[in-house]
Amino acid sequence: MSVADVPPTEASREALAQLLLGIADDEFVIGFWDSEWTGIAPMLEEDVATSSISQDEIGHARALYELLAELTGDDADAIAFGREPDAYRHAALMNHPRTDWAFTIARRYLYEIADAVRLEALARSSYAPLAQLAAKMRREERYHLMHLDTWLRRLAADDNGTERLAAALRGLWTDALAIFAPIADEALLVQRGELPEPMAALRARWLEQVTPVMAELGLPGPTPEDLSAGIDDGRTRRTDDFRWLHGEFTMVAASERGATW
Amino acid sequence: MTDGGGPADRVWEVFRQEAEGDPMIHSGNVRAPDEELAMHYAREFYGRRQESNRLWVVARDAITELDDPDLLKPPFDRSFKRPGGYLIKHKLEAAKARAGAQPGEAEDE
Repeated sequence: MSVADVPPTEASREALAQLLLGIADDEFVIGFWDSEWTGIAPMLEEDVATSSISQDEIGHARALYELLAELTGDDADAIAFGREPDAYRHAALMNHPRTDWAFTIARRYLYEIADAVRLEALARSSYAPLAQLAAKMRREERYHLMHLDTWLRRLAADDNGTERLAAALRGLWTDALAIFAPIADEALLVQRGELPEPMAALRARWLEQVTPVMAELGLPGPTPEDLSAGIDDGRTRRTDDFRWLHGEFTMVAASERGATW
Repeated sequence: MTDGGGPADRVWEVFRQEAEGDPMIHSGNVRAPDEELAMHYAREFYGRRQESNRLWVVARDAITELDDPDLLKPPFDRSFKRPGGYLIKHKLEAAKARAGAQPGEAEDE
């Protein structure tokens, strides 16, 4: 069944909006966190690369907010910068600050694989604007994943790096699983083909990809407790770290509401 | 920059092609510990604005350099080996002067 067969209802439109908002906020918030490395990354070349990748994510967020704004009749800038912290819907993985370089790489690696799995599915969405955007984003995310894979392996090549990655990963699995937290009326989205597969299927595919890499590199995978932890609030839980970042990234927009530049 | 010394200091020269068929032109260099990161950094420095069609990344120490002045700048006059080596500047000037002095006649020459 495709969207063409069944006209959207208010419930299905709302569910699609929630899906888009979650992905957009993921990209937006991780882009801002990692942009915090500008000027202090391990070496000049990496500084430019990290900043550029972060910029790419903000660009993806922008495209997603615009798609959402079209769907709901809102303004993309207002969605991005006009909400209170508690109204953001990124996964709990993005609640953490950049911390050290190993933490940034560990978090980002888990995210990039999840994003790749998600985009692969969304490129098959029956909602054509989303399928097209996902296909475009995949081309750029391919490079991001290559970059992160290089760094994960590099850090895991010695004891110090392995220890730091392990410390970061142990605390991140449940928050990373929140990327695939079920969304309200998900069944409706799946039925309409807007979300080609349930979140649970994407979660399983993500685990199939990340777990063997962790085992290969001697890094901790998810524990049974991580896997059974409740993630229903995975996209609504907010932290003081995020509230601080929110203050930073809304500062300019808040200085003069509705300004154009 | 915690990585100031050691293997991270390896330098890679980057050549850029703007469009298919164009020559590869030396663009600059990046510092990276290995080929893989060198490729990533070259892509960021010389390709992130979609300005490149192709990049070549070459370890500087893999380049064979020739800079011996005896081989490259020998002391004898080599102007005859250049396309412009046969100087016609003065002949041209003389011809122009003749044409200028006797307008009208220049066309008959």
